[in-house]
Amino acid sequence: MNNDLKQEQIARINIYALISRIMMSEIDEGLLKSIEEDENMLSFFPTFKEWEKREKLSSKDLIEKYLNVDFTNLFLLHLIPYESFYTRDDQMLETGGDNPVQAIFNAFEFNVQLDKARVMAADHIAIELEFMYELCRAELKALEEGNSKVAQEIAQIQYGFMRDHILEWAPMYLLNVKSEAGTAFYFDAADLALEFIMSDFEYLTELKNNGYNHQV
Amino acid sequence: MYLQSRRTFLKGAAFSVAGVAIAKGVFATDAIAESVSQSKFTNTPDSISFYPDQSEWDNFAELDGDDWKRGGIERHGVRSADNPDGIQVNNYTIVPTVCSNCEAGCGLTAWVNKDTMTVRKYMGNPLHTGSRGRNCAKGYAVTSQMYDPDRIPFPIKRAPGSKRGEGKWVRVTWDEAMAAIGKKMHDTLAKGDEISKKSIMYHVGRPNENGFGPRVPQSLGIDGYNSHTNICSAGARQGTIQWANDDRNSPDWANADLIFLQSSHAADAGHYFQQSAGLIAEARKRGAKMVVIDPRMSNSAGMADLWIPCWPGTEAALYLYLTNRILNEKKKDGSDIVNHEFVKEWVNWDRLMANKAYLQKMIGYGYISKMPKDDSYESFIEVAKELYAPYTKEFVVKECKLEGMEYKLDELWEMFVPAGAKVATYLWRAGPIGHRGGWMNTRAGFLPLVFVGAMRGDIGGVGMHHWHEISVAGKGDKATVAGKHPEKTDAWNEIAWPPEYPISTYEMGYMMPQIMMDDAWHEKWTKRGLKIPKSMAVYVPRMHNPLWINPDGFRWIEALKREDKFELSFNLSPTWSETNWYCDYVLPVGLAGERNDQQSTPSKPEQRIEFRQAVLRVAAEKSGWKAKRPERATLEAHMKFGLGEVWEESEFWPNLIVDYVDPDGSLGIRKYWASKKDPSRAVTVPEYFDAAMSLLPKLKAQATKLYKGEEFPVYSYMRDHGAWTEKTDVYKPQEEELEFDGTYYHAHGHKYSKDEVTKDEFGALWVQDGNFKKSIGAEIDGELREGFHTLSKKLEFFSEWLADEWKWPEYAIPIYPRNEKESDKMVHLVTQVHHKHMKADNEFALNTIYRLPYNIHTRSVNSKHLMEISQNHNPIWIYTKDAEKLGIKRGDAVKVQIQDTLTGIKSGYFIAMAVPTEATRPGVLACSHHAGRWKLKDSVTIPGFEHQLGIMSLGSPKYEMTDDGKVGTMKPTEGIKPHEAWQFKEYNKDLDDIWWDGLSGAWQNAVAPCHPDPIAGNHGWHQKVIITKAGADDKIGDIKVNYENNFKVYQAWRDQLTRPLTAADKLRRPYHIKRPVKPSQKAYEFNIKDV
Repeated sequence: MNNDLKQEQIARINIYALISRIMMSEIDEGLLKSIEEDENMLSFFPTFKEWEKREKLSSKDLIEKYLNVDFTNLFLLHLIPYESFYTRDDQMLETGGDNPVQAIFNAFEFNVQLDKARVMAADHIAIELEFMYELCRAELKALEEGNSKVAQEIAQIQYGFMRDHILEWAPMYLLNVKSEAGTAFYFDAADLALEFIMSDFEYLTELKNNGYNHQV
Repeated sequence: MYLQSRRTFLKGAAFSVAGVAIAKGVFATDAIAESVSQSKFTNTPDSISFYPDQSEWDNFAELDGDDWKRGGIERHGVRSADNPDGIQVNNYTIVPTVCSNCEAGCGLTAWVNKDTMTVRKYMGNPLHTGSRGRNCAKGYAVTSQMYDPDRIPFPIKRAPGSKRGEGKWVRVTWDEAMAAIGKKMHDTLAKGDEISKKSIMYHVGRPNENGFGPRVPQSLGIDGYNSHTNICSAGARQGTIQWANDDRNSPDWANADLIFLQSSHAADAGHYFQQSAGLIAEARKRGAKMVVIDPRMSNSAGMADLWIPCWPGTEAALYLYLTNRILNEKKKDGSDIVNHEFVKEWVNWDRLMANKAYLQKMIGYGYISKMPKDDSYESFIEVAKELYAPYTKEFVVKECKLEGMEYKLDELWEMFVPAGAKVATYLWRAGPIGHRGGWMNTRAGFLPLVFVGAMRGDIGGVGMHHWHEISVAGKGDKATVAGKHPEKTDAWNEIAWPPEYPISTYEMGYMMPQIMMDDAWHEKWTKRGLKIPKSMAVYVPRMHNPLWINPDGFRWIEALKREDKFELSFNLSPTWSETNWYCDYVLPVGLAGERNDQQSTPSKPEQRIEFRQAVLRVAAEKSGWKAKRPERATLEAHMKFGLGEVWEESEFWPNLIVDYVDPDGSLGIRKYWASKKDPSRAVTVPEYFDAAMSLLPKLKAQATKLYKGEEFPVYSYMRDHGAWTEKTDVYKPQEEELEFDGTYYHAHGHKYSKDEVTKDEFGALWVQDGNFKKSIGAEIDGELREGFHTLSKKLEFFSEWLADEWKWPEYAIPIYPRNEKESDKMVHLVTQVHHKHMKADNEFALNTIYRLPYNIHTRSVNSKHLMEISQNHNPIWIYTKDAEKLGIKRGDAVKVQIQDTLTGIKSGYFIAMAVPTEATRPGVLACSHHAGRWKLKDSVTIPGFEHQLGIMSLGSPKYEMTDDGKVGTMKPTEGIKPHEAWQFKEYNKDLDDIWWDGLSGAWQNAVAPCHPDPIAGNHGWHQKVIITKAGADDKIGDIKVNYENNFKVYQAWRDQLTRPLTAADKLRRPYHIKRPVKPSQKAYEFNIKDV
């Protein structure tokens, strides 16, 4: 595989990893340090970069007094980060095996550990994004091994999952996060996720239109 | 937009840390598919009402709940040797039983793990047609009660040499306890005199069974049954008895068009709550309206279509106002609102119209202005119109203090009339029990429902309790050597049935210590010729905590400590309680899944029984285990399978009586409890209950078919199903034909020759019943009908017996004082917390009668789940503007001083936390009397036992008590703390997570004086209180009570308000009205001399 493709694939993996992690659970000092010390990563958080509180407070205080509070509001209490809430008429969460996203995971033998994720259902925003991350990794592996057929199949799954699930609700949710965010960090994170999934879907659509030829 | 293009995007993603280090990694990839495909488990049941089919209950495999949270079978597979991290499969025997927390008796199923023989969870029982598989929080909390870390593990006895209340205990065996108790009972009964027949008292708290308890004292030949019913519901019972000679009504919620509730009972707490609430919800979904009359905005009121916050105790005025409008107005189409067809046929107006002397009295009372022109129904309606005309909107607004809420009365009318006869109500607790004259709440409350025909008991209306109840638990006679029911005693126990309260409903049990300690009272009646015991030889509370729940608790403490008054006492108690502390023995008995009881709860128009069972015994027996002594199988199973030496009454009493009270049969008692099958031992649970429940013909037929060849088919059916519905759609049975075959009348299972039946001028058919006459049916409009349960066989608008022989003529019809003069004169009907008694800004009526929906009076105290959700939920509610006026803010400690309005005597105070709220009406405070538990020690040491026995360590703080014989105080000193359990550890791993201190109210019951209603005998629970901000030394939870003053209040209510029996009276009580455990007709005879 050519290097550009590889870099692009790694970049996709990294961004999916980052946004899924941020939305999965409260940020810890290690991850915060990674972001702050990595110019590339920090460039995704322009408002946060300039946020006065970031300068003034220790990481611990920043996390405990601001970021965790905001996380709780955006992901646990106020907003509902689950697909079924946005897509079902009755706005109920489907926490059992009848959850359509769960069914997809089951079909691919991707076993979500809800307890580890600390979420109630498999259609949580962070899980869906981590699923994309896993698919991207698998795609990269296939490409590295020269198995373009498998890579194509995986890209096709990504396209379908994006179209049928993530794009059905995540933009709405992420706009809500942007609107409700009380910290620059989560505002930026939501903006990053929103822009990225839109952009990535364009990419996947393009890939589909050219017959999943990764080398074009 | 800061991301200009995908290129920049991707460029920026060249992180120094790889994605794999960032991602949370929540996808596991272990291969488990095989274990899943081979399993029968599914991720999600098809519906949430899923229960396995009954045929699978003996062997049902289910995935473990804890593991289930990890995400379902397809992510972890089923646990096996090849897949050790998979989800565990539990092999269950599902044993049906019945909840024992409140009176509703909802069906439960105990899921007994066959490998460990422990109950892993309690779920609903879908075969129970009342609860339909559903339970409230209390039902699901049964597991935490069963495996309560403070479960009393064996019988304990007050340590020799110690005094009651010292808290020194020793361990005894059940047989040691039974030997001592049995001897005392034997020696008492062997005397055989009248006093001895009144010297054993069985004081039953939550019965949750239908007749077994009463059989116990009856078999002993004593008058010693003391139900708790007076304290909970005497007012409602009295009002209903006067109407229908049934002590409760039984509504058809599901089909009603108007749900008409006074208080939160039925919809969010209280009687048959969970079952009723479901049916009410269904009716509302269909379009029924709901009205709640309650000074407090309960959960029900909050959800109702209309909330009417009448001043507490004045509700009768509202009901009579409705009656006035029903009588004097028309429907929109011009027709009468009164259902004349029903009223004319089924109300005893004819007896009123024929009783000229009484009509003259009515004129004298100012109820009507002139004699009716004739005896006709039309003239009765004219009388009624005039009688109720004064109950105008203006009057009711003033009396119920609904100023500014007049529009609510219009809304009520708009809802009431279109509902026609489809109005369902349950008038219970709250108003009827909280007040002097509270019974008139029910009497007046049913009146508008009578006039619109809702009391006919038809679809969507109001039926009567006994129509829908089956009581056979006391009738297992055929399994015993005697083969028949014990004879009725000739004794009449004045301690429970004092001559001041001849029509009380029922035993005056809540003021037993006051009665027992009143030497002057004893002397007074002894001089007149009554034989009243000075002490109780044996006092037996059962599932009861009388010391804590009844008013004037310090008097209870004083009395129970007196060994000359209570010679031997033992509490049959499933939990630690305040009463335990002052008893000689604490005998641990079972809860929902550890008892054997037949229950029947009339929550809808059907006849159903439930069977509560000791589920470990049943599960073990199904797996082949056999008790060494079948008559003690429950106790043996509990000991064998780790619950402890926990027993229950249906085995305890037969064993006690057969082996220890009357071992040689010389007292003539043994035969009632010895097994017919093996007379050497007591009757067993299968023997007794099979005989009792076989009295239901349809059940017997079904059971015999299904369990062909079994020794106890009916028992087996109930063991496996837990509930049986004998009859559905039980509506208006009074209209059923009274069978007459030309020679005999057939009524209620008896036949009467036509020669012995006489018909009176009103159509009632009478027969001789010993020394009394009883009616068996009535001719209505030319047809023979079974009729209501009253003497007239009709609903009694006019309570003739109350007017003539029983001394209350002015209250023999539904009435309520219409002006100040009448209010003073009719003091018996006017609540002690009437607004006329509230003069200063800080004087309030205190509403104490409501339940927290997730607590029971006393048994929930150590259920960790129920405790956690109820902490701090019992502050004192005060109307926002009242609080503002007094400068009281949320969280302030306030001193609540109780003052009696009859005497002006102050009792003392309790300290409570104030919460200003719009959810209680102005002038009325609310604080449930169901909180404020206490203990004096954290634990007790049992010599020779390695563990300390914790006392209410999950629900009660520790208090310090002072008591000088006149004044008592309590002060909380230490809250509960996280700790470790020594028993049932598997169920109590989370005790280190306890965050609450247990202080959720003060023991206000102790401050309250007894307020015995002169007619119904109920304790008027509500209090006039004076509130001030608490002082610096006051702490929430404190109480101080002058119980000498309380005694004066009790005496004043008794002596100033009652109309006691005199030498002119020949009967103790009307024979036709209910008395739990009726003695013989001889016992009813009353012969005293005036002194």
